[in-house]
Amino acid sequence: MKYQSQKIAWWFFATCMLLFTLQLVYGFIMAFAHAGMDGLHAYIPFHVARATHTNLLVMWLLAGFMGAAYYIIPEECERELMWPWLAKLQLGALVATGVTAIIGFHFNWWEGRKFLEIPRPLDFLVVIDVLAFIANIGMTIWKGRRMTTTSMVLFFGLLMAALLYLPGMIPTDNQTVDSYWRWWVVHLWVEGVWELIMGGILAFLLIKLTGVDRELIEKWLYVIVGFTFLSGILGTGHHYYYIGTPRYWLWVGGLFSALEPVAFLGMAIYAIAMAKRGGRHHSNRTALAWSIGCSVMSFVGAGFLGFAHTLPQVNMYTHGTLVTAMHGHMAFWGAYAMLVMAIIAYSLPLLTGRDLQNSAAATFAFWTSNIGMIAMTLAFAVAGITQVVLERRMGLEFLAVQSEIEVHFWGLILAATLFTVGILAYLWVFIRSGLPVGPVDADDSAPATVA
Amino acid sequence: MLSKSQARAFFFVGTGLCALAFVGLTVDTFGKIPAQTGQAQLTEQVIRGKDLWDHNNCMGCHTLLGEGAYYAPELTKVIDRRGPVFVAAMLRDPQAMYPGQRKMQQYNFNEAEIGDLVAFLSWIGKVDTNGFPAKPPLAQGNVGPAANRPVVFQQLCTACHSLGGVGGNVGPALDGVGKKFDAAYIGKWLEDPAAVKPGTKMPKLPLTADQIHELTTFLGSQGK
Repeated sequence: MKYQSQKIAWWFFATCMLLFTLQLVYGFIMAFAHAGMDGLHAYIPFHVARATHTNLLVMWLLAGFMGAAYYIIPEECERELMWPWLAKLQLGALVATGVTAIIGFHFNWWEGRKFLEIPRPLDFLVVIDVLAFIANIGMTIWKGRRMTTTSMVLFFGLLMAALLYLPGMIPTDNQTVDSYWRWWVVHLWVEGVWELIMGGILAFLLIKLTGVDRELIEKWLYVIVGFTFLSGILGTGHHYYYIGTPRYWLWVGGLFSALEPVAFLGMAIYAIAMAKRGGRHHSNRTALAWSIGCSVMSFVGAGFLGFAHTLPQVNMYTHGTLVTAMHGHMAFWGAYAMLVMAIIAYSLPLLTGRDLQNSAAATFAFWTSNIGMIAMTLAFAVAGITQVVLERRMGLEFLAVQSEIEVHFWGLILAATLFTVGILAYLWVFIRSGLPVGPVDADDSAPATVA
Repeated sequence: MLSKSQARAFFFVGTGLCALAFVGLTVDTFGKIPAQTGQAQLTEQVIRGKDLWDHNNCMGCHTLLGEGAYYAPELTKVIDRRGPVFVAAMLRDPQAMYPGQRKMQQYNFNEAEIGDLVAFLSWIGKVDTNGFPAKPPLAQGNVGPAANRPVVFQQLCTACHSLGGVGGNVGPALDGVGKKFDAAYIGKWLEDPAAVKPGTKMPKLPLTADQIHELTTFLGSQGK
């Protein structure tokens, strides 16, 4: 870390840790309810837990992206952040908005649109907040000493993410139209512009961690984000099969979303190839593990498991079942949660001056959380496939099927416990690393001891 | 070998073309949605129903058009499946309708609001969804005697009871019920279950005299 203002990233990362932990609590509430233990029904009914769980995820990932940008942009542009005070103000506003929304959910104040439950007045606050963030990093890049591909990809990813929030605010009385615009936000975020952010952050990490030439890494970055958009934009059509939109979406969505794994596979091969090619043996092995792990798990979760039910013939039976939850959990974990964990693992020693990334706890956190998530995905898969066969193929009643699959939710709870232990180890390393100090001396560009 | 400028060109051209195609298809789709969804039938009542649907986050448990959460049933075709009478009764007192089962919140809707929600669900049931949800291809009830059952039986009773292996498992199966009880008893039971057997979990259903007669005849013949 070379610039004083990069320190602000730590506060964003600390917010991530807090919100992520809370997200796990709400996940357990839902898993227990599915397993037949809904003792909290009178206080936190399922739909409250569900909205809180997913919105906390979106919020902490956004906070993570913002923190990553505040860390990466000064270093890439070789100057201090334009307005460090605005970054602090903007974090405070984000947290205040988020907390208000979450509390509101518990009092039936929301919009009831999956993933975009935040009530309308708060939507405007989110937009203003994100615009302040974009202006801050945009001006830093503009006034910076150099303009790198990595910083531009990251910037445009963040800018497009902000702009694509707007279609979700178009008012309509028609449920089909409502759904149509909602996917412009949700799909074009996670299978579109967020992948730009992912590409930008991964490129930065690979440049730092592997020592491979920037030109080479950035060239392939273009190819990969190119594939992402080639498949991802028209791949939005896989949400338009069965919601009252024309039949041609079955073709368009099926064809292009079937190509989506290619982009994720490209990302995985890219990360592994660069790590192998790199002559540098960076001392932060945990950060490299999270970076490569992110590219591999996003291929499995988003690419492979997404493909598993994206074809219209399959989706006809899996649409609206727990199969979606199976894909969703590993996709978000692999592509975005692990990405934020990677940038935190990388930057933490440089922010706080205490390097615990090679400790046993850091390694334990990586493996335990990943094994836990794989086990969770398997539990969802068994529950989901059983639901599809019994309810959608054989026509059994919904509740009868739910009691059949209850046992798999106990499996899910066990797996989630393992996952949580891993995350708590990660949190422990984060806390033990302490508060951020000024610019840390540890020169990151010089190779550490070569093995 | 690919140069960086070629890689950049691939990115911009590819993204540009796909974005253009996507916007074009979106314009076309918006031209077709009114006919495909029956936009003309979006009455004030349906719109009020949608507002209630949104403002109570029904999608936080149910799916509609296959979208939402997976804690409660898919509702796109619920009016076809259960009929407006069952849906209204469910909205009045959810936990009475599925006693001892997974709970739905009691919203204390008034009758006008219940009417709005039923209107909204009726509207959504008529949207052309390209065949979703598909008829279960392996279901036993697709052929045979199920075809001759009274509509009221299929819509209300099968929510909790099964007959011939088809239906819910909340209450006991109704196979051979006509052998166990005579028609008069079944009729009284349907009028008010708690009057026959105090403390029973079966709710009093909003049945007309004609429907009770139809059901009594049908159930009384089971097992004979």
